[in-house]
Amino acid sequence: MQDALPAFVLSPEDVSRSAMNESPSTSPHETAPRPLTDEQLMLEFSKGSAAAFAELFSRYKQPLFGFFRWRLADPSPAEELTQETFLAILRASSRYLPRALFRTYLYAIAFKILRAHRRKAAFRATFLGNAPAHRDPAARDSADIAFLIRHAVAKLDATDREVLLLREFEQLSYAEIAEVLHLPVNTVRSRLFRARTALHDLLAAPARKRTATALAESEEHV
Amino acid sequence: MSTTTHPFGPEEVMALLDGELSQANAQAVSSHLEQCAECHAIADKLRGTSHSLTQWSVPAAPKTLEESVKRLAEKKLSGEKIGKPNIFVRATFWTWKQWTVGIGAMITVLLLFIVTRAPNRMMYSGSPQVAAKAPLAEQAVGTGSGNGRAVRELDVQPTDRVSSVFSSHAEPHTTTGSDSAADSNGLMQSSTEFAVSGSQTSPSDSPVDGREIGSLLPLQQPMIARTVSLSIVTKDFAASRASLDAMLARRHGYAAELSANTAENAPRSLQAALRIPAAELSSAVADLKSLGRIKNESQSGEDVTQQHADLLARLKNSRETEQRLQAILTQRTGKIKDVLEVEREIARVRGEIEAMEAEQKNLEHRVEFASVNLQLTEEYKASLNAPAASISTRIHNAMVAGFKGLAETILGILLFFLEAGPTLLVAALIFLAPAWVLWRRYRRAAASVSA
Repeated sequence: MQDALPAFVLSPEDVSRSAMNESPSTSPHETAPRPLTDEQLMLEFSKGSAAAFAELFSRYKQPLFGFFRWRLADPSPAEELTQETFLAILRASSRYLPRALFRTYLYAIAFKILRAHRRKAAFRATFLGNAPAHRDPAARDSADIAFLIRHAVAKLDATDREVLLLREFEQLSYAEIAEVLHLPVNTVRSRLFRARTALHDLLAAPARKRTATALAESEEHV
Repeated sequence: MSTTTHPFGPEEVMALLDGELSQANAQAVSSHLEQCAECHAIADKLRGTSHSLTQWSVPAAPKTLEESVKRLAEKKLSGEKIGKPNIFVRATFWTWKQWTVGIGAMITVLLLFIVTRAPNRMMYSGSPQVAAKAPLAEQAVGTGSGNGRAVRELDVQPTDRVSSVFSSHAEPHTTTGSDSAADSNGLMQSSTEFAVSGSQTSPSDSPVDGREIGSLLPLQQPMIARTVSLSIVTKDFAASRASLDAMLARRHGYAAELSANTAENAPRSLQAALRIPAAELSSAVADLKSLGRIKNESQSGEDVTQQHADLLARLKNSRETEQRLQAILTQRTGKIKDVLEVEREIARVRGEIEAMEAEQKNLEHRVEFASVNLQLTEEYKASLNAPAASISTRIHNAMVAGFKGLAETILGILLFFLEAGPTLLVAALIFLAPAWVLWRRYRRAAASVSA
């Protein structure tokens, strides 16, 4: 994958969506002095540079917040979990070694925090009888396309869903997804294809039936 | 879509769209895509799915996040500790598998610790000096609980008492041992010694009562019944057997039980229960170890001091009872029925006394003579002279043995399930049903947490 082409054709709009592509370091037509990479910034921060961390934070604040928002039915813990991820980065900064891409490292931590949160929340709901998480009110009340997409994505197999979200929203390469999820690259590719095909089929189902089912199930959750 | 009509699979088309192909592959797939309507449709489908996902947006990160993270970064840069201790943070990231492995490892370490501690205790009791001290310490506590005066004495001067005990307890062993070495009838001598000590502490000679004698006596003369188990592999069985007999004669021991097995085409072996004078035990064990390679060794010591003291006290009481009954018989007059009643009682007490005396002798013998359980096995050397079975017979035998083994295994499994099946079924219903319900609730809750 070293000589792979840059992602180019999924959709022109998708490129602008990517936080990674918002980073000046990935822009090929930048005339200004080449900014530091994420890994260099992290090394600078480990030596005590506050500005380096501020830059890293500004690059990954929104992508990381989105990472949790896209994956949790209840939006309220997203901010706390984002903060927890940055806290983990801060704590581990002195031991940081640039053996992998920083964003792979970051999302691997975020993924662990997300999994721990899900486990704790599920445990509380199972044994302590806490009410299930409330879905985003805006999404629940509207039968718009975003809600239907969310509902369709929730129906995917858990690992397929993670692969799809990491590719579509975090824009990680297959190799990076493989590293974060501890899967072989070929498995990532086949799971991604399966997830995209399944999602397409779910979204292509008759709209009326889909809406009615989705709304009924959302009421059950409430 | 097959690779017979299409040179590339749909996943490669997707990889092209994702920019995951090398330049050469990308050009090939791209040119195929321009010509193939089917592949083009797949590409459109994938693009459409990807595009539809762009409509699922999330709001911007709140300002409070920036403030809180900046505060944390400042703390970190100023050298302050932030967050929870690392071990707790890491523990929350553990998966179920990691927790299972971790708990399993902890249990293994605990078991290993327990297992490795057990032989240490055995060795501890096997060492002559240390072994004698340990039961004494326990004895001092045990005696204290049974006798108020003894407790007070121990409370006032515990150090003196223990030190005097330590200095005196080694003495009887040495003395007895040397006596035994000089005179093979060590048992009788030892019995006499105990009888003398018993009479010295009789109520007529001492102001303390019988119960206290029983409690204090063990503190002066600890009695340890030693047992040693040895499993030895020897190269020369006949020579080892001769050495064993010589050692028994030299150490004034004897074989309480001995059985030898000299089967053909098999290693010869010998199993013996030896009785060795306690003072000679360490030398005798050293002699036995020189017979060959030690396969297994264990030593233990049972403290019978209290048991012996109790026995002496009971014996003394019974003797006194017997004397009183004899006095009644000689001094009083009465009906023939009463006389017979007294005689019956005397006979009963006499029986008890004899039983206790036998028990006392047995106990003292166990202390005086340590038990050595020896298993001597010869290193087997296959002989060419031995008639070997033919290959066909051996194959036949192996098949029969295999079939029997299989049948036994199947039968064993069947019997196990027939025997334990109902219990397992009930246990499964009791434990697995709620566990299954909880697991389903957990899965449902986990699904509801996710988007």
